[in-house]
Amino acid sequence: MVIIGVDTGGTFTDFIYKDGDKWGVFKTLSTPENPAKAVLHGLEQIAKDKPKNITHGSTVATNAVLERKGAKTAFITNKGFEDILYIGRQNRERLYDLNYRRNKPLADLFLGVDCRVNSNGEILKDLDENEVLKAVKILKESNIESVAISFLFSFLNPEHEKRVKELLEENGFENVSISSEVVPEFREFERSSTTVINAYVMPKMKNYILFLERNLSKEDKIKVMQSNGGVISTNLVKEQPVRTILSGPAGGAVGALKLGKLAGFEKLITFDMGGTSTDVSLIDGKLSITTESKIEGFPVKTPMIDIHTVGAGGGSIAYVDKGGALNVGPESAGANPGPICYGKGEKITVTDANLFLGRLIPEYFLGGKMKIYPFRVEPYMEKLANKLKLSPVQLAEGILEIANTKMEKALRVISVEKGYNPSEFILFSFGGAGGLHAAFLANMLGIKKVLVPQNPGILSAVGMLLSDIIKDYSLTVMLSEKNTSYESLEKLFKVLEEKALEDMKNEDIKSIKIEKYIDARYKGQSFELIVPFDKTYIENFKNEYKKKYSYALDREIEIVNIRIRAVGDTEKPEFKKYEYKGEKVKEEAILDEKTVVFEGKKYKTKIYDREKLETGNKIEGSSIIVEYSSTIVIPPFAKAYVDEYKNLIIEV
Amino acid sequence: MVNPILLEVFKNRFSSISEEMGVALQRTSFSANIKERKDFSCAVFDKNGDLIAQAAHIPVHLGSMPMSVKYIIENVELEEGDMVILNDPFKGGTHLPDITIVAPVFYEGNLIFYVANRAHHSDVGGISAGSMPIAISIFQEGLIIPPLKLVKKGKIDKEILDFIKNNVRTPEEREGDFSAQINANNIGIKRLLELIEKYGVEEVKKYSSALLDYTEKIMKEFIKTLPDGTYSFTDYMEDDGIKNKDIKINVKIEIENDKAVVDFSDSDFQVEGSINAVKAITTSAVFYVFRSLIDEDIPTNAGCLRPIKIITKEGTVVDANFPAAVSAGNVETSQRIVDVLLGALSEALPDKIPAASQGTMNNITIGGTNLNTNKPFTYYETIGGGMGASAKNDGESAVQSHMTNTLNTPIEALEFEYPFLVEKYKIRKNSGGKGLKKGGDGIVRQYKFLTDVEVTVISERRKIPPYGLFGGTPAQTGKNYVMKSGKKLEKEGKFSEKLSKGDKLIIETPGGGGFGKSEI
Repeated sequence: MVIIGVDTGGTFTDFIYKDGDKWGVFKTLSTPENPAKAVLHGLEQIAKDKPKNITHGSTVATNAVLERKGAKTAFITNKGFEDILYIGRQNRERLYDLNYRRNKPLADLFLGVDCRVNSNGEILKDLDENEVLKAVKILKESNIESVAISFLFSFLNPEHEKRVKELLEENGFENVSISSEVVPEFREFERSSTTVINAYVMPKMKNYILFLERNLSKEDKIKVMQSNGGVISTNLVKEQPVRTILSGPAGGAVGALKLGKLAGFEKLITFDMGGTSTDVSLIDGKLSITTESKIEGFPVKTPMIDIHTVGAGGGSIAYVDKGGALNVGPESAGANPGPICYGKGEKITVTDANLFLGRLIPEYFLGGKMKIYPFRVEPYMEKLANKLKLSPVQLAEGILEIANTKMEKALRVISVEKGYNPSEFILFSFGGAGGLHAAFLANMLGIKKVLVPQNPGILSAVGMLLSDIIKDYSLTVMLSEKNTSYESLEKLFKVLEEKALEDMKNEDIKSIKIEKYIDARYKGQSFELIVPFDKTYIENFKNEYKKKYSYALDREIEIVNIRIRAVGDTEKPEFKKYEYKGEKVKEEAILDEKTVVFEGKKYKTKIYDREKLETGNKIEGSSIIVEYSSTIVIPPFAKAYVDEYKNLIIEV
Repeated sequence: MVNPILLEVFKNRFSSISEEMGVALQRTSFSANIKERKDFSCAVFDKNGDLIAQAAHIPVHLGSMPMSVKYIIENVELEEGDMVILNDPFKGGTHLPDITIVAPVFYEGNLIFYVANRAHHSDVGGISAGSMPIAISIFQEGLIIPPLKLVKKGKIDKEILDFIKNNVRTPEEREGDFSAQINANNIGIKRLLELIEKYGVEEVKKYSSALLDYTEKIMKEFIKTLPDGTYSFTDYMEDDGIKNKDIKINVKIEIENDKAVVDFSDSDFQVEGSINAVKAITTSAVFYVFRSLIDEDIPTNAGCLRPIKIITKEGTVVDANFPAAVSAGNVETSQRIVDVLLGALSEALPDKIPAASQGTMNNITIGGTNLNTNKPFTYYETIGGGMGASAKNDGESAVQSHMTNTLNTPIEALEFEYPFLVEKYKIRKNSGGKGLKKGGDGIVRQYKFLTDVEVTVISERRKIPPYGLFGGTPAQTGKNYVMKSGKKLEKEGKFSEKLSKGDKLIIETPGGGGFGKSEI
């Protein structure tokens, strides 16, 4: 059995695999018109006729939303509330935009059915089935492919949603999503939005999975990555594709968690810097989960890894704004025209600034396979520097400082602003451009160590191989502290737990762990904290609240949702330790010596080949380490060593 | 010399501080207005009380918070660890429900900055629940809090707190909100001190003032692009809730090179009812309009207003004197001030300026006693409407416009907490003005009450519709109805009424004006 992790990205589809004892990496160009082509091509190359155990991170659902290429979708809700998706929260995303327009909802047709449940779950007005049948006629006339149903208070009483679903299915509709199954939690707009996204991407996702399955053999197994950091079976993905909607960065976070643990670090801040943006997340022994994500401005309530994105990356463009300040991003030079040094661009990017200071080495860029043109950068740098009355070096360092400030801001949002002290964490750096900036960011945040794993460019695929099967269940209960107890909450949990265990029966797992959480708040507040549920759940809430907001109150607590996370332990590949080879780097690992600028001063800097570094090797700053997909800068104020898993650890 | 790199670095630093204060305040507060609807603002000020950074929350607080800080600078002796509370509209406030808490930031014994936040509390006493009554003097509107040290050297003054709690309908909620506001200021103080530790106090001071110059420069560049001349516009408030009489608001904007003079002198005198605006509100409206004309990512700070001179006449509806009732000046008159400003500027900037948006906030206050808990409740919300169309695009529908940007309360959250049912919440079709570009549509919202309640509605644009521009037609006016024992009665724009269990309230909000002559 070949174990394979496949991650579909915008440009490349990455594979990492383990065939017996042998690890391998494979990259092929993505095929956006049908992403399965690249996946199948890679699988063919890696494990032709051998049985395969595949974990797949797919962007099919994400792209369907981003490119507005999902199904023709109808939204059915209570009569009088047909426009709730359009109205949203009634606010404007941009306060000072006099010509403001919202993103149009994903659904094309909005229908109201005259039925109503109240906040106790009692039916005030029962469903009129004839009315539903009339709706069916309209759906058919409008060639609707997928339907989302969300009634008020359906999480307390799902009867109407279930009945409408039945009636639609009896009338030939195969793609029906109901909010009480997708996310049975209160707040109608957010729940409806999540259900509509599910409906919108469902036919596409189903077809994609079916196509993959048809092209695999019977012995092959395939699981799909979700946004919550776990994998699920393809059957569940077909029903709830919204669970994969932001799964792209999830693989990287899981990879960081697992590789970090292996290397002895439980507290990590992940830092994934790419061409146009940077993703960061915080891991305090486990992944941070949020239920407040958005895609294209539409809320997604299903649990996801809390990943914060900022529009600063290697391709971010530097410019002087109207007030005379130097600014960087969010506009990016992208792949075309790309940075100036790629040969075509005419606007200075972060990559150009790194190159200008000598931190990117032309000869070793992408293993020397891609030609870059340092001489093109100079005149542009001089021109902009003159305009700002700076030296070109000051400008280049300034561009990096501003990009770092923006990334630092993102890192602070997930750490300091949530009550975590970054100096207790290590910075786990991956992605193409991460290594150029990580040591500086660590320095800015008081972080002592940076970990750069092997193959930092394909960490996402690695993470997929290391993921557990995770299923999330939740339910709004809205109970005040004094009207409930540990025992009675346990009873409510039982229902979710049984459902979880039932669903896990069909999965290929070694053992199951059930984690219980509650979403709680002080009665009268509107935002909940997710905290572990055990006998001390009230204390858990107070501690978490105090940690996050730096004070706690002596007030009644309300339990809004109960939440179960079922984790099924899967068979995972093992990583072996490398033998200790000593502190001294062997000669053949030193490629070159160059001059690199740090804080206006020139430093003689050795260039190392990452592939040839061995466990135990120590490197002093300033140094630069190159590998195929990334460059790692060890500034003068830092040093580094290679650990027993060949992670590079930078000490700041 | 100002370094263009550090300028950008500090721009990000200061804005993160006000944003972080805002996140903390929203997440820990209790009033529906604050927690669900973001009716609050957080900001950082320099030693002179000039705004350095304000998170993008509610425009109506923009120009008015500095007045709170400036009032305190002139009138209160502050020590480290103090925080001052106030809501007096004639001493730096706007209207009574908006309670501001200001804190000085000391470094090594010297006062360097201020942080402040303002939040709309759901009740501050007065003759009707929710403190947005139909009133004829400020004494009816609620408890008037002059600048008082709610926190002294880090400790909350229990006596002041108890006094305030004793004079409001929902004291527990007030106390919770105050803790949230105090905490938000503490976060701001902490972050500013970290900034000073990192860059040194002189550097931080230098760049806080450089940021004001920066925004000023951008604003001047923008004003230069406007053709020199005088632009004038007049519109009306429909009534003050007491007398049925139009109230004129007029503006003359004089553009000369890179400066603007905005003169409201020709507006009507202040009135008996509560639509009077204090000057802070008028300043906010001017701030908002000019801020909207420059790019979104430019920091919102005192530099914006430097090239603009605002002239008002004391004792008018846009610069009211004590003891005028002012609760609706903040929410309603502020919208009309924006309407006249944009109307005047449309001549100078026909490609950018939209027709009138709904021009009201449709303030609904509902008070009563919850039969399950036997505790009094007050609920306040505002309802969105249509935005005006512009040369660029149709106006957006069912959205908050101009001086407010509060979120709605989710129906499920509302029904969990209060004894009402929402029966309708939808777009009011065809209520936008017509034209080459169509105005946005308003909203229909219908409530059914499950207990006896007192309802107060303060709304505008029920008689005089939001205007169209360049041949576009005006929008539909809004409508207010109550349904008592099955009978639907149309009500005026501002009314207060006791309703019984089973009765209904139906609000139809105005659309936005159309733009350009339709080709048909």
